[in-house]
This record gives sequence, structure tokens and C-alpha cells, in this order.
Amino acid sequence: MTPARVMLVDDTPTRSAILEQALLDQGLIVVCRLESAQGLIKNVEIHQPDIILMDLESPDRDTLESMTVLNEHNPKPVIMFSDEDDNQIISKAVQAGVSAYIIDGLDPHKVKPIMDVAIARFREYQALKKELKQTRNQLADRKVIDKAKGVLMKTKNLDEEEAYHAMRKMAMDQSKSIAEISQNILSVMELLTP
Amino acid sequence: MIGANIEKKALKLGYMPLSDCLPLLVAQKQGFFAEQGLDIELQQEVSWSNIRDKVIVGHLDGAHMLAPMVLASTIGLGGLRKPLVTAFSLGLNGNAFTVSNSLHKQLRKLNTTGFKHASTLKQLIEQRKADNLTPFVFATVYPYSCHNLQLRDWLASADIDPDKDIELVILPPSQMVDHLKLQNIDGFFAGAPWNSVAILQGIGHCLVTGTDIWKNAPEKVFAVTQEWAEKNPNTHHALIRALHQACQWLEESSADAIPLLEEHLSLSSPLIDQACLTPAITGEYIVVKNKEKVKAPGILIFNRIMANFPWLSHAQWICSQMHRWGWIPENISQSDLIKQCYRPDIYRAALSDIKLPDDDYQENIISIPPNHQFIALYK
Repeated sequence: MTPARVMLVDDTPTRSAILEQALLDQGLIVVCRLESAQGLIKNVEIHQPDIILMDLESPDRDTLESMTVLNEHNPKPVIMFSDEDDNQIISKAVQAGVSAYIIDGLDPHKVKPIMDVAIARFREYQALKKELKQTRNQLADRKVIDKAKGVLMKTKNLDEEEAYHAMRKMAMDQSKSIAEISQNILSVMELLTP
Repeated sequence: MIGANIEKKALKLGYMPLSDCLPLLVAQKQGFFAEQGLDIELQQEVSWSNIRDKVIVGHLDGAHMLAPMVLASTIGLGGLRKPLVTAFSLGLNGNAFTVSNSLHKQLRKLNTTGFKHASTLKQLIEQRKADNLTPFVFATVYPYSCHNLQLRDWLASADIDPDKDIELVILPPSQMVDHLKLQNIDGFFAGAPWNSVAILQGIGHCLVTGTDIWKNAPEKVFAVTQEWAEKNPNTHHALIRALHQACQWLEESSADAIPLLEEHLSLSSPLIDQACLTPAITGEYIVVKNKEKVKAPGILIFNRIMANFPWLSHAQWICSQMHRWGWIPENISQSDLIKQCYRPDIYRAALSDIKLPDDDYQENIISIPPNHQFIALYK
């Protein structure tokens, strides 16, 4: 059985590199990795993929989709799902942020494993990005908290622990996070300092 | 009590960053959704394919959508197949055809009186063929769009075959101006504000507006899946009432909405500013940079002349155009498709307190220029 030929279109190179490796591990062929739809239609003609995986949030999707109508002689990518099972795959794919176009003639049995890999990797990437964002926010929060603590220590003549306790109490009383309270303290200070 | 019978209160609605998404933005900003007891989250999307897929799989409850897409998706053309319906038209018109300065100059050499008819372009295309030059490349936004159908019709009216005599490509509206600048394309047919962006940057000339081709043409609609409409009839009514109120508001005070539009559209492109948003919204159109404004009050209609009514005649018109290009399979009953997708009955139920038309059809609802021939079944 010849392995399916996959083309990737994704402007996030890290994600598409992860996906490429995962597909190669499955014994598939990744014929081409594009970062934008520049030359998309030409590349489809040259590389003749069986399936195209594309970042759902790429504005170039409509260009790829036009191949289903405008190109009579070239490979026609279609979204080729019909039964309930497939509807679930599509819903999962949309959730994960990946869209797939299948060129007429690819064995439908080959599609599902490819989609599963793509969905899994896109999800993994989503989780990674979320984690990174959280870490960044935490770091930023800590900076603000430290700064506000310093301000309190200086203006109210408190030691570090007392300043932190005062902030925590304020946060609990106002049901806000310590970071928000810290931001408020800094904003007020900014107002008061000429 | 308002909102008492609503099946689903918290809804996500999608839109593309274009001037005609305004009814959704206004309904949110002016609190018309909230007055109907709805809690709406608006989500900006990057492609029409995304809008369709997210509505179909239920990630969006409803969306700003190309009118022909409702019909195309119902019969599975181009992508996923799922019955979609519309009971509300978000307005009429809004498109225009802008060509590069170089193409405009070539056309001017042949004709100095005007280009409402594509015959000068035809002449130029024949010249290019004789000189063995590559065909012109024109872009539009989506295969199943009124843009594409209008451009094809206009070309065909001068005996230009859009599939053979030129190259037709699909690009996202926000990339049109850059591609025109880079000379990747010779012209584009898109909605507001993209023609004005190209014109005000001095890189294009508006050759013909959509209203010169089809006057009072359907354009974007508010679409949901048929399944959703059946499950949430009261919510659907509430949405329609809020959108109708927004369209009425826009008819009175569209200029006031420009800052709101700028706020949302500039998220999608750095090229957007108030200057490029103003012409289509105020109807004082600019066809060439530094030239006098042209009064074009119908360039984008939000509410008047029953613009929001989902006329079956609109669906019929779109269907006949799609059929003409051989896109609708022969086994599909067009009259059934029209009635399945366009739902004036829902509009009537939602807005029973306003003046409604007697009939769901209106003859000659779209006017075409007198010298414009409908070349049937071109292929």
C-alpha cells in the first residue's frame, strides 16, 4: 500500500514541524510544507498531494477552497465527509484549529488516521501555547506584586510579610486577585506622585 | 416578558471584517441584542470557509454570510454539506470592481467615455490574445459569492468567458490591495471597504460598482443551520428583531457607526482607517483618488426598500446565476432549494408588528442595465 502524500500549510513553523515529524513517524510522506498560500495552487499541481492539512485560522483557506470550483483539470481538494462519525471528526478538527482537504481518489480509510494525528498535534500545540501564556502571565503578575509590595513597604513603613498580608486581605475583602490589587495600588500611587 | 421564551440566551455569532457586518456590531453596541434578552459574543473570522464550517459544526450559532453560500452549503458544493437557512438579509449592494492603474490606462486609450459596459475590456482582451500576452488576472473573494456571480455576469454580458478569456482567482479581501500593488492581479471585485482602500492609496481605479451591474442585489445574510432554526425558533426571532433594529438605526445614522466599524476592522488589517470606511457608508463614493466624490446613495443599503426581507426572488436570482455556470447539479430542484434556504415565514413571524410585503416574491427585484444581455448557459 503506498503511503498517503500530505501537504501542510501553516504559518506557525513550530507547529507544522511537530506535525510533519508525527506524520513521518506514521510512515506517511510529507510532500511539502508551506507557510502561506503564496503559490498554493501551483504547489498542489507540482506535488500532487492526496491530502492537504491547513491551519483553520489561515485567511488563505478560501483560496484553497476555490480549487474545488475554479480548476477543472487540476486535482480537486474536497472536504469529503458524509456520515455521523465524520461529523465528529470535523467538529474535533475545527475545535483543534485544523482543516483538511482531500484530493479525490484517496482511500477514505486512510483519512481518519491522518486526521487523528493532525488533531492530536494541533491540540498539543494549543495546550503548549496556553501553558506558555500562563507562565508569562504569572511572571508578569509576580513583577507587579513585587513592585506594589515595595511601594507599600516604603509608604506605610511595613516589612515584607506585613505588606503582603495587607495586600492579601485587601484581595480577599474585594474578591479580587492579588495581582489586580497590586495593579490598583500602583495606579493610585501613580496618581498621587507628581 | 422579553426573553422569556428564548431557548438559548448565550450565543456566539461570527462575522467577517467588512463594512456590511455593521448590523451585528451595532446590535451589540447599541444594546439591541441585550434588549431582546440575548447575551451575544461576536467572533471575528478570517475566512468564509471558517464561517461556514463553524456554523455547521455548531461552534457558532449564526453568522454574517455570503447569500450564495447558504444555497451552496445546503447542497454540499465546495465543502461540508448541511442545510443552512436565512430569514434576514443584512443589506443590499456594497461591491465594486477596482482595476490597476496600468489596466485603467490601457482602457482609457480605447475609450474615454466610461466602462459601465465591459466591451472595452473585451476589446483589450482580444488585443492581448492577438499579441500572445498572458490573460488578465482578476480576483474575487469566494466562489459562491455574489461578487463572483456579478463579475462573471458583467464579463459575460460583453461576451468575455470568465473561465477562458481571463484568469479568475480567489483571495481574502484583506489581501486584495497588496496583490494589486504587487501586480499579481490586474483587478479585484470585492466589498467595502476594500475598493476604497485601493483607490485612496492611489493604486487602483474603480471601474464599475456592483450597483451598475445588479442594482439592489442581495449580498450578505444572517445564516444559521436549519437544525438550529428548528431548535431555537424564539431565539431566532429575537435575533432578527435585534438585527432589524440595528439596520433601522444604521439607515438613520450610518455615519455615526464609522468609529465602531474602524475599531473592529482595524484589528484585521493595518490599512483600515476612517477615510476608507466613509465612502460606502455615506454614499459619497470616490472612484479615483483626488477626484470629486460621486453621489452613490445606494452603494450600501442597510434597511430601506425592504432590504432586510429574505425575498425568494433573491434566492431565485442567485440560483439561476449558479445554474447558468453549471454549478447546480441537474438532480437538484431549484424551487425546493430556494424555499428550503430562504425563510420569509420566519422573518414575518419575528417582525409581525412592522409593515410587511404582501408577497414573498417581487418581480424585477434586481435591475440590470438596458444594454446588459443575459447570456444563458454560457458553458
